[in-house]
Amino acid sequence: MQAIEFEFEGRRYKGFVASQGSETWYHVDGRTWKEATSTRRRVGGQGKASALEDPRVVKAPMPGKIVKLMKAVGAEVGAGEVVVVMEAMKMEYTLKSAAEGRVAEILCAVGEQVSLGAELVRLEVVV
Amino acid sequence: MTKDRRIQKLAIANRGEVAVRIIHACRELGIRSVLLHSEADQATRAWRMADERVCIGPAASAESYLNVEACVRGARAGGADAVHPGFGFLSENAGFARAVIDAGMIWVGPPADAIEAAGDKISAKKLVADAQAPTVPGYMGEDQRIDTLVEEAARIGFPVIVKAAAGGGGRGMKVIRSRAEAPELIASAQREGQAAFGSPVVFLEKYLDRAKHIEVQVFGDFTGQVSYLMERECSVQRRHQKIIEEALSPSLTPELRRAMGEAAVRLAEKANYESAGTVEFLLQDEKFYFLEMNTRLQVEHPVTEMVLGVDLVKAQILNAARAFQVWPQESLVARGHAIECRIYAEDAYAGGLPSTGRLLGTHWPEGPGRRFEVGVEAGDEVTPFYDPMIAKVIVWDESRLRAIRKMQSVLTESVVMGVETNIPFLKEMLAHPEFTEGRMTTQFVGQHFPEGLASADHQARRHNELTRAFASFAKTKISRGATTGSPMGSEDPTRAVWSSPWRLM
Repeated sequence: MQAIEFEFEGRRYKGFVASQGSETWYHVDGRTWKEATSTRRRVGGQGKASALEDPRVVKAPMPGKIVKLMKAVGAEVGAGEVVVVMEAMKMEYTLKSAAEGRVAEILCAVGEQVSLGAELVRLEVVV
Repeated sequence: MTKDRRIQKLAIANRGEVAVRIIHACRELGIRSVLLHSEADQATRAWRMADERVCIGPAASAESYLNVEACVRGARAGGADAVHPGFGFLSENAGFARAVIDAGMIWVGPPADAIEAAGDKISAKKLVADAQAPTVPGYMGEDQRIDTLVEEAARIGFPVIVKAAAGGGGRGMKVIRSRAEAPELIASAQREGQAAFGSPVVFLEKYLDRAKHIEVQVFGDFTGQVSYLMERECSVQRRHQKIIEEALSPSLTPELRRAMGEAAVRLAEKANYESAGTVEFLLQDEKFYFLEMNTRLQVEHPVTEMVLGVDLVKAQILNAARAFQVWPQESLVARGHAIECRIYAEDAYAGGLPSTGRLLGTHWPEGPGRRFEVGVEAGDEVTPFYDPMIAKVIVWDESRLRAIRKMQSVLTESVVMGVETNIPFLKEMLAHPEFTEGRMTTQFVGQHFPEGLASADHQARRHNELTRAFASFAKTKISRGATTGSPMGSEDPTRAVWSSPWRLM
C-alpha cells in the first residue's frame, strides 16, 4: 500500500493505493473503494490486452525513458530485484520484479521513450 | 495448603484483537504469553506477538477454539500456569473452566459455579429475584385460559408480546397493543402454537419497543468484594450484533446509574462472582429490566477502561494470581466520554455482505485519546471461519459530542485495503441526529438503516469529483511490480515472507 500526496481544489489530501492482481484499491478523504485494475496497451499498441495483472511482466508505471536494463535475457531474477531503471519527471525509478524467475524477453531498449503501461520485461517463472 | 498462584506463563485460548489485547497485558506484567491458535490463524498479529504458540487444531472453531480438550492440552503443552479464555468461544463454558483447573492451571475468570449459576435460565431467575433486580414483567403461568391471559396482559401493561412457549428464534410471537385486541390475538397464538410447534401453551412478556441496551461492568476480587464500574450503552446493534458502544450512557441520571450499578453488584455477590462480568439491562421510560449476566470480559470493555482509567485485563490476571483488590467504589469516578466502533469486514454498500481476502494495507491514525485494537495487518488473510470483526476503534474526549466528532475524524483517516469494511456505515450512523442526540434505542439500525448503505442514494454518494480525480492521479503513480514491497504499517521486518501474494512452490 502506497501513500500518495494529492492536491485537489486547493486542498491537500493523503491518499492511499494498493494493487493486487485484478484489483486496485484507493482511499482518499475517508472513502475507500476498489476498481478493476485497468488493462494497459503494450509498447507500439500491438498484441492483446491482458485482463489480469501478470506478475511476470514488468510494466512502465508512467511515461518515461528507459535508463538502464539490469538483467539480460536468460538471467535469473529474484522477487523484488530491480530489473529496469527508468527516468520520468526528472527522477529515476527502479522497477522491481514481483516474481522470481528468469528473463524471457526484453521488450524495450535503453534510451527509448515508453508510454504508461508499456510492457518492458517478461519473465518465465521458475518452478 | 494454598496453591502457588504465581502466573509466569499465560495461555490465551482465543484469537484476533482480544488475543493481542491479552498479550499486551502479559507483556506489561512480565508474563510470557502462549497463544493457542488454529491452523487458519498463523498469519495474524497475535501469532506474531506471542512469546510462544501452540497450534490446537484446524480452522473450524468446533475443532479448535471450541474444543475443550484441544485447548487444555495446548495450554499444558505450552507449559502455561494459567489460561485466559478471552470472550466468546469457551469463555462462558463452566466445563472448560473446570477442565483447566483440573489440569492444574489457574482459570482467569469467574468460578465455574458462578458461570453456571448465571448461564442457566432457572438459576439466573432465582439469583435475580434474590438480588431484587427488576426483570421484564411477564406471565409464565400454567393457567392458560383466555380470560386469565388477558388479565395478565393488562397487568403487565400494553404493548405485550404473546409467545408460543414451544417456539423459538423469534417465531410464534405476536404483539398485542390493547386490551381490545388481546383475546383474539392470544387465541390465535395458541392455535398457531399448537399447529406449528405442537403445543398451545403461551407466555406473555412486556414488549419493550423502544428500549436502550444498558450494561453494567462489575468486577469482583478474590476476597469477595465487588464494585461496579459504571455502565456502557450498546443500543446501536443489528440483529443483536453490537456495532457502536459508549461509556457512559447519555441517558442515565445519577440515581438510575446508582440503582442499576447496585443491582448489578447484588447479583454478582449472590453468585459469589469473581473477575470481570457484565450485567445487561433494557432501559425504557426510566425503568430498567434485567436481561442477562455475562460471565466474561466483553468486547466493548475499552470504553469503560478509558473513562475510568483502569485496565480490566491486567486486573483479571492479577486477581487470578491473588494479587489484586478491587477498586473501591468511591474511587471509581468516570471522566469524559468514550466511544467504540467495531470494524467489520463487510460490504456496507451490499447490505453487510461479509468480505474476505488478503489485507493489502492498513493505516490507523495515531494521536491523542484514541486506541486501536487490531487483529490483522497487511498480508494477513481475513478468512470466513470466524466472525468478521477485524478491529475496534476507540476514542475518548471531554464530552460526548467531542467524542463523536473525534470518532468521525479518526474513521475518516483510517484505511483498510483488501477487504470491504463497515467504516462508511459507521460514519453514517454516527452522523444521524438520533445518535448525536443520544435518543437511539435498539430499534435504531433496523429503523434507519434496514439495508445498511445498499440504497441507490447511498451508492450514488459513494463517489464524487475528488474520488474520481484521485483515482486518475493514483493510476499514474502506481509503480507496478513494487506494490508487493514492504507493506505499510507492519511492525516486523522479517514478515516479508507473509506479505508476498505469490508463493511459488
